[in-house]
Amino acid sequence: MNWLKRRVRPEQIRELSLLVLILAAIVFFGSFIDNYYSFRTFNRIASSVAIITVVAVGQTLVVLTRNIDLSVGSIVGFTAYFVGTLIASHNGINPILAVAIAIALGAALGVVNGVIVAWGKVPAVVVTLGTLAIYRGVLVDLSGAKTVTTDSLPQWLIDLPLVNVAPIGSLDIRALFMLALVIVVVFQIGTTYLSFARRFYAIGSNPEAAQLIGLPIKSVVFLAFVICGALSGLAGFMLLARFGNITVEAGRGLELSVVAAVVVGGVNVFGGSGTVTGAMLGAVMIGTLEQSLFRLGISEFWLDAVLGLLILLAVASDAVILQRLRQLWGGAELKLMAKETDSVSSEQSASPP
Amino acid sequence: MTKFLMGAAALVGLAALPQCALAQDAMATPGKAVSMVLLPKFLGILPFDQAHKGAEEAAKELQNPTPLQFLGPTPQNSVAGQIEIVTNATTQGAKAIMISNNSGDQIVPAAKAAQAKGIKVVTWDSPIPSSEGEDVFVAQVDFSDIGKVMADMTLNLTGPGGGKFAILSASPDAANQNAWIAAMKTALKDPKYAKLDLVDTVYGNDESEKSYTQAQALVDKYPDLKVIMSPTSVGIVAAAKALQDEKLCDKVKISGLGLPSEMLAYTKNGCAPEFALWSFIDLGYLTYYTSYLLATDALKAEEGAKFKAGRMGEYTITKDPTRAKGLRILMGPFTIYNKDNVEAAAK
Amino acid sequence: MSAVGTLKSWEAMMLALLVAIIAFNSVGSPYFLSVGNFVNLFQLSIEKSIVALTMALVIIGGEIDLSVASVMGLAACVMAWTFHAGVPMPAAILAALGAGILAGLNNAFWIARVGLPSLAVTLAGLIGYRGVARILLEDRAIGGFPDWFNTIGQQALIGPLTAAIAIFFVLFIFFAIVLHGSAFGRLVYVVGSNAQAARYSGVRVGLVKAALFVGSAFVAALAGILYAARLGSVRGDMAEGFELDVITAVLLGGVSIFGGKGNLVGVGLALLVILNLRNGMGLADITGNTQNYVIGGLLILSVLIPNMWQELTNKWRGRET
Repeated sequence: MNWLKRRVRPEQIRELSLLVLILAAIVFFGSFIDNYYSFRTFNRIASSVAIITVVAVGQTLVVLTRNIDLSVGSIVGFTAYFVGTLIASHNGINPILAVAIAIALGAALGVVNGVIVAWGKVPAVVVTLGTLAIYRGVLVDLSGAKTVTTDSLPQWLIDLPLVNVAPIGSLDIRALFMLALVIVVVFQIGTTYLSFARRFYAIGSNPEAAQLIGLPIKSVVFLAFVICGALSGLAGFMLLARFGNITVEAGRGLELSVVAAVVVGGVNVFGGSGTVTGAMLGAVMIGTLEQSLFRLGISEFWLDAVLGLLILLAVASDAVILQRLRQLWGGAELKLMAKETDSVSSEQSASPP
Repeated sequence: MTKFLMGAAALVGLAALPQCALAQDAMATPGKAVSMVLLPKFLGILPFDQAHKGAEEAAKELQNPTPLQFLGPTPQNSVAGQIEIVTNATTQGAKAIMISNNSGDQIVPAAKAAQAKGIKVVTWDSPIPSSEGEDVFVAQVDFSDIGKVMADMTLNLTGPGGGKFAILSASPDAANQNAWIAAMKTALKDPKYAKLDLVDTVYGNDESEKSYTQAQALVDKYPDLKVIMSPTSVGIVAAAKALQDEKLCDKVKISGLGLPSEMLAYTKNGCAPEFALWSFIDLGYLTYYTSYLLATDALKAEEGAKFKAGRMGEYTITKDPTRAKGLRILMGPFTIYNKDNVEAAAK
Repeated sequence: MSAVGTLKSWEAMMLALLVAIIAFNSVGSPYFLSVGNFVNLFQLSIEKSIVALTMALVIIGGEIDLSVASVMGLAACVMAWTFHAGVPMPAAILAALGAGILAGLNNAFWIARVGLPSLAVTLAGLIGYRGVARILLEDRAIGGFPDWFNTIGQQALIGPLTAAIAIFFVLFIFFAIVLHGSAFGRLVYVVGSNAQAARYSGVRVGLVKAALFVGSAFVAALAGILYAARLGSVRGDMAEGFELDVITAVLLGGVSIFGGKGNLVGVGLALLVILNLRNGMGLADITGNTQNYVIGGLLILSVLIPNMWQELTNKWRGRET
């Protein structure tokens, strides 16, 4: 036990507590819903979570640096629509090229965000609130109200969500979910082991200290927004593949689900702590709740109220569990620090960088 | 005696003649400058663009020198946006506002204010439920008929044995969809449909993604579902794709109201063997004609008034039987699309 | 630049912008400069303007309340539902205000007492309170309110001003006094700048925050009732999405998202700027979508340009930023 206490910090156990909560939810739903423990349920949750997860990974990086990106929904919609229209008119396009274009387009939109936040010194919430409207607005004005429909899309794109990448017995891991998993694993490893990645955490948790040390704050923040944009672009492609029919309203409101996933996943909105795995688990938690509540037979009109309550409980129990773990981990000293950190993290308004 | 009666009849006939002459159709006088606003539920989907096309066609025929304003809110801000556009149009002194109403009765205060300034308020596609603030509603089809047609299509798709079906609608507050669903429920009371079992009504909010996941959720929750009926062009397409992705098109069919150009692939591959719609272009055309006639005082919005609407022919204003109050112009029948005629219509 | 200096220059910029917009609008449309139009200009967004007042206080206090639009909808639905159930209108209105207070207390509990981040709690509230509104109304719309209620919402009462506009001005003065002239107001700034330091100085931080959230929800409920009166009927999706516009107005008003900075005059000017800009665009037949991104661009530029200017002047004076 002591060995464990020395090696692992409480924050790192946060993911474990969230995992426990998810399993508890699954057991709860399984006891009420017939055929719940089936691969179909797994696929449902996996597909609905995949797109949000990819964006949430990017959002995590941004939030770690004590910023936020509210324009992700518009970026996803923009790239989904643009790439969809492109593929529809050039059916023979190389799939890899299409994906690359989606990522590049998203990255370009992220560059705009990053430049204005990092060098324009405009608070991220202001910038991304603005670009949320600008990107969406430009999309609607340029698109001429057409819808991208599946019959204009090539077969490989339509079949993509159904591709079974890694069948484990009769469990299909579909392509989009696999992609999301790969992204999470890559970024989790990157943020844990790359020393460069440590900068995201450092800048978010203490900007003044980071400045004194001489960290290139501007470049790191810029990079965070570009990566977030790029991942949103990728998610736009995934959206196109999954739904096929893309209107100019695609992705509207996505930022809400992504922020919810990140928040439930334990990423501190004041920066400096949290992991991409946590964000994924947050997405899985919310996705599980959303997919399962309906099957529970709860009236359509009760769903949102229950969802809101459960999100609140998830965040609350997560905080309580974390507090308990901290108390378990340390003696009186740690307890005092934990109380401070908890209250600081919930009430502290960041001093401007 | 017969002679007297015939004479009397002739006299009565003669007396009636002037009335007949007066009761001829109102005709439009082209060339008048009438500022008009076409206001759909929101901008960004094809049906409303088609209505716009039809309205522009009418505008050209009527040689109205004032261009038609095609204004609409974003889907997120539909209600507040429609109210704002009506209010601004009132300020600017437009002569006619043509609105596909997404705001239920919440548009009434703004519509009444417009009427108070002498502006003609003509609704199309979706009326003002209480009909207050509205001069007349141009209905694409009879709303009770839609209910029957949807019930018929469902029965066709389940087969005589009947079965479970569900409705995937737009927003829970959409007046026209709600009216059609209510009409369908009334139609279902007929013993002909006794074997049909409506298990659920869910809402996709006219969003592709939401409609897709709702369709998936329906087949999860009701494994022996046979038909999904979706009276919204966004919902029907998304649900069709969902069924196709689930490879359930043999077991579950989709039907409802959809655009041939968007439904082409699904009708050909059997996911949506049958669905219905009307011409939005014609609806826009007729609405423009009606509004122009009303705004130029060539037509009065009262029961029994007749008029000629260009290439579409003669129409009469009647009471709207599907609402408690209100006047209606009924455009005409709609078309049932299946694999025989969908390709031609999709052009 | 001193705090006072920064304050003065933001308001000055907003004022200059306002004058420019009004001038531009007057030239652009002959209908702009009329009493009727000005009343409309306010009326069309009066509820958002009212909520912006308390949102400003919440953000200055270092927090955020994303649930305001859902509380507006909830309060309206509670009022409509209780009225429809046979309760006399005044009691239904009280029920709606009560619902707002309950929502505010709920927010306050989780944020001030348990210590969860306000972003998370009010995000859950945004979803949850709207959900409760839906439970009450489902897919119906409820209207048929008494004439006196509709008159209050729609007709001019004090000169050309409607009740809602009058209430806005009263609340503006009230909150301006609270924020800038009372001890509580000073506490809000202190808590917003550095809650930890405030706590160590003996400030009851939890109480201040609780007051902010209860106040925010109460005013949102009031705004919801006024909205219902203006529209004459209530639906489950009332006021959906309003929170973004409210936050945009507050940020444009010079309130810092980090807390501790900003004032109500700036917010008032920002509201005027946005309302006039939207009205001018509306009269020029520019649609909501374009209006949105013009406002979005304005929001960014309002912070970006002064920053760039500061960079340039600092460079000229040889200072490093």
